[in-house]
Amino acid sequence: MEPIPSNYYDLFGLEHRLALDPRDLEKRFYSLSRKFHPDLYTLKSPEEQQYALDATAILNDAYRTLRDPLTRAEYLLKENGFDIGEQGSKNVPPELLEEVFELNMALEELRGGDEEARAALAEAQKKFAGMRDDIDRELETKFAEYDRTRNRDVLSEIRGSLNRRRYVRNLVNEVEKELVETTDAPR
Amino acid sequence: MAYSNKVLDHYNHPRNVGSMDKNDPNVGTGMVGAPECGDVMKLQLKVNPSTGVIEDAKFKTFGCGSAIASSSLATEWVRGKTVDEALAIKNTDIVNELSLPPVKIHCSVLAEDAIKAAVADYKRKHETGEGFEKAAS
Repeated sequence: MEPIPSNYYDLFGLEHRLALDPRDLEKRFYSLSRKFHPDLYTLKSPEEQQYALDATAILNDAYRTLRDPLTRAEYLLKENGFDIGEQGSKNVPPELLEEVFELNMALEELRGGDEEARAALAEAQKKFAGMRDDIDRELETKFAEYDRTRNRDVLSEIRGSLNRRRYVRNLVNEVEKELVETTDAPR
Repeated sequence: MAYSNKVLDHYNHPRNVGSMDKNDPNVGTGMVGAPECGDVMKLQLKVNPSTGVIEDAKFKTFGCGSAIASSSLATEWVRGKTVDEALAIKNTDIVNELSLPPVKIHCSVLAEDAIKAAVADYKRKHETGEGFEKAAS
């Protein structure tokens, strides 16, 4: 039994790149899934059966992580020694904090029954969804740049973008939820 | 995970919620946030410019119970302290006082950062005099 590579890229036999072809990744995933499928190991020793189970579990985690560009980027950042999920405002521009704060105020007003806040929220929703799309485009460019240059500074920029994106995504979700809930609520 | 009684007390009866005029030259405003959980915290200090003593503090926090309790406690603690004494408040003091579990330590860090940011804002206004001009216009 060859040892199962614990690194997700190595497991798929891929270069450690940020931009991946999802179809190629899927193909590799299916081929490895077949290779490690526990059904193929039913007549083997208990150790080998366990091996197949372990390999399949790692493979599923690996596929889930690398398939999504955002979790993939986080994985590669971690690999390169960046702290992910580190809490704090260091990577959030002050203007964004200001906007987040204002938006939360508007959300609170709407929850408090102030219907005038609704228009402001709908406006904010559009704006933040636009910001999210901008960040996604920015990330795509930076992914390509990193793959080309392997420049650590680019990774650091990517981490900043990921933080901002997470913030913005949470906001978009919250505003959407609020707009739907308060619209559906019986009067 | 259960909140400690102190956290619940601050959460249910937050002290000093509100805001002050951020253009007031004697008011320092600190705005910090944690992208991870979407928390955002605004903490403001009103300082007596001749004594350097913090006479009033207000906060507004959008976030979990621990984030609200941490900032509420921070406003209680900074009142009556000089700005430099306020800078000595450590997040670990907040953790101990509120018995925050490890997963909530970042909330106390946020509160400490908010105090530091507010003091820095106040000091910036007083070094450059910019705050006075803004308030006058």
